[in-house]
Amino acid sequence: MDQVVLRMKGISKRFYAVIALREVSLDLRRGEVHALVGENGAGKSTLMKILSGSYPSASFEGEVEIEGEAVAFTSTYDAERAGIEMIYQEISLNPELSVAENIFLGKLPRRRLPWFIDWKRTHALAREALAQVGLEVGTTQAVRLLSTSQQQMISIAKALYRRPRILVLDEPTSALTDRETETLMRILHSLRAQGISCIYISHKLEEVFNIADRITVLRDGSVISTTPRQEVVAARVVEDMVGRKIEMMYPKVQLPVGQEVLRVEGLTVPSRVPGRNIVENLSFDLKAGEILGLGGLVGSGRSEVVNAIFGSHRRSAGRFFLDGKPVALSSPRDAIRCRMGLLTEDRRVSGFVGTMSIRENVSLASFRKIFGPLFIRRKTERWEVQELSGQLNIKTPSIETNVLNLSGGNQQKVVLAKWLMTDVRILFLDEPTRGIDVGAKVEVYNLMTELARKGVAIVMISSELPELLAMCDRFIVLYGGAIRGSFQREEITEHKFMSAATGVL
Amino acid sequence: MSEKAGGIGKRGGFWRRLSEKSELGIAVPFVLLIVIVGIVNPVFFDVDNILNVLRQSSFTFIIGLAMTFVLVGGGLDLSVGSVLALGGVIAGLALLGGVPIWIAVLLGVLAGVVIGLFNGIVVSVFKIPSLIVTLGMMYFARGVVQVLTRGNPVYPLPEAFNFLGQGFLAGVPVVVIVAAVLGIFAHVVLTQTAYGRAVFALGGNRETARLSGINVQRVTIWIYVICGAASGLTGVLTAARLASALSNAGTGMELQVIAGCIIGGTSMFGGSGSILGTLIGVAFMNIIANGMVLMRISVYYQSMVIGAIIIMAVGIDQYNRKRRGMIG
Repeated sequence: MDQVVLRMKGISKRFYAVIALREVSLDLRRGEVHALVGENGAGKSTLMKILSGSYPSASFEGEVEIEGEAVAFTSTYDAERAGIEMIYQEISLNPELSVAENIFLGKLPRRRLPWFIDWKRTHALAREALAQVGLEVGTTQAVRLLSTSQQQMISIAKALYRRPRILVLDEPTSALTDRETETLMRILHSLRAQGISCIYISHKLEEVFNIADRITVLRDGSVISTTPRQEVVAARVVEDMVGRKIEMMYPKVQLPVGQEVLRVEGLTVPSRVPGRNIVENLSFDLKAGEILGLGGLVGSGRSEVVNAIFGSHRRSAGRFFLDGKPVALSSPRDAIRCRMGLLTEDRRVSGFVGTMSIRENVSLASFRKIFGPLFIRRKTERWEVQELSGQLNIKTPSIETNVLNLSGGNQQKVVLAKWLMTDVRILFLDEPTRGIDVGAKVEVYNLMTELARKGVAIVMISSELPELLAMCDRFIVLYGGAIRGSFQREEITEHKFMSAATGVL
Repeated sequence: MSEKAGGIGKRGGFWRRLSEKSELGIAVPFVLLIVIVGIVNPVFFDVDNILNVLRQSSFTFIIGLAMTFVLVGGGLDLSVGSVLALGGVIAGLALLGGVPIWIAVLLGVLAGVVIGLFNGIVVSVFKIPSLIVTLGMMYFARGVVQVLTRGNPVYPLPEAFNFLGQGFLAGVPVVVIVAAVLGIFAHVVLTQTAYGRAVFALGGNRETARLSGINVQRVTIWIYVICGAASGLTGVLTAARLASALSNAGTGMELQVIAGCIIGGTSMFGGSGSILGTLIGVAFMNIIANGMVLMRISVYYQSMVIGAIIIMAVGIDQYNRKRRGMIG
């Protein structure tokens, strides 16, 4: 148990002027689950990319030893040969290939003549691999047709099949259902017994406390602490991560609610299946300075509601009233003209433009403001973005930095800044804290409170029940595309909420 | 480079900034190329030779600047060569029919606009990949040209018209002046206007652009209209240069133009590129052609060299992107 399998010593890595890792040392014992936690941008991914050979050994300082022998990987292939397997947060399967082909990609079993594939054995072995992770899907099915969580389980099956010495899991559960998470935890326990070592990266501290033998906290590229599980205090870990005491996770301030700003009547969103609706005849209102929680399980139609109002999703019926007067909202342009903003669920897909700088991203929805009759007003643009960047505490050397160079939390702030620049009155936030670190989450909550104080009406969607309950003034819970319950802040409990969301109420 | 010194977070010297701006990464090899060609054969620096290179580059550049819009916007236009021929032939036929010169020119450009409008509408409204739409249009427009001309050259064209392609104003070829004016115009539109910013946003992430209130359909349609108009105009100028409109004019032009854009650092994946880069890319190709003649290297090697440079240019671009996008 105490034998060290992996030792990383004094690892430093810089990108130009930015120091990503500073003298980081980490060791991993046989059969150990070693959790790596820290805010986005703390250096976890960079460290793992060094381990996986994505950054060749010449590109960083420090030493990596496996089983006491110094290694110098020049590619991910070298790392794989040394028995290191990675499971990433983003699924890296080939969607067009079958389940079996994905599992054995590059290692398909061969017949006696080695350029022919032994399909029979491939599928038999694939079934075995799937059984190990408790997944029941056909091995000939195209991965494209499977759900995200099933795909993640296949990634895990694929990694396990290769019998790794070291398994690195980077946020593996963010796409998994609760049951699958349980299965994964069981698998991790059994790996421990088999003497396979794991590095486990997660934002979900509950999970980490549950499974890890030791927990290492990274912050700003340095190791802050490494603690055995028995000695772990949750509050300390969070403090180590953010480097300050979090007095109050949810800075909710009760504010007087103003007049109605938006009323939605009879909103209906058709499904792709003809004759069926994702959202049916939904009506609600929204008041100035109010944070309305739009709850429900995944698939209940939450995202579709806000997207349909904003004009970015098809709808078959619905009337909208702004300050009591009817308005036509047929496209995002109309919605923006009515001073609405939508922070979408997936910032990479529809939140920011990856080829643009922070400045260009922030001003993207404010062309009226930054462009004169003909030309751009550079000073206005730079000044306004600089101001917002400071106000939202976007951590970057310059507003000319490309958004892709920012951590998830800071990217999210860029998208938020984009909407603030348009002087929004109504802001739809679809999973505003997904995949961002604790510190950035608190900043997002603070900002929401600040906006509400200024009279902005906010609709918030979140899968994280504690944050939703803590931040909102009022709740609408959807079930099957219709309102199943609506609650005031005073009367809501997790139990009531979940009863409505699961249709029990 | 009019950025104020000591501005926000600006670091590093001029050359470093230049090489980090991916579209201008080609600037250094470009200067080197000029120096080498010039040293081997000083004739290169003769005014006549330089004007000749500029004139040759102008034809490709006028389409190239429009293609830069297309590529930055995340599309591709393969029909430019055929539209070039169509523009020339329409203008030529109009002239033979006795139409005033300026109207003939306008008709040539208009032919390009019509094709561009069609391309743009099909691409943006019906969401068919631009590669396919414009590939089809490449054949279709060429077919129209062949039907109109039956394969015969359209001539003789009036002397006053030919002046547009052959003449000089204040010692500078008319074509070069046209290209310069359009180049400056395109650069200003792409970098200084809301439309230009919208094109970059569209190519970088269409969905984000749409949700940010950009009218992506209108922006897309305009991109192809610009490209069609530029191709039509180049067709008119080409006809004037050759004193006749040929049905096979502009064959292979699309790839030459795209190559120029790519060498100039414009990305095939959309969202980045510049008119200045395209200018350098197009000139680069023409100087190589010119330089090889001056250096008495067989023209047969020309394509090989250009091919190698395209691959190198894209390789450098990819490397830069990878290096820049790594933190996180």
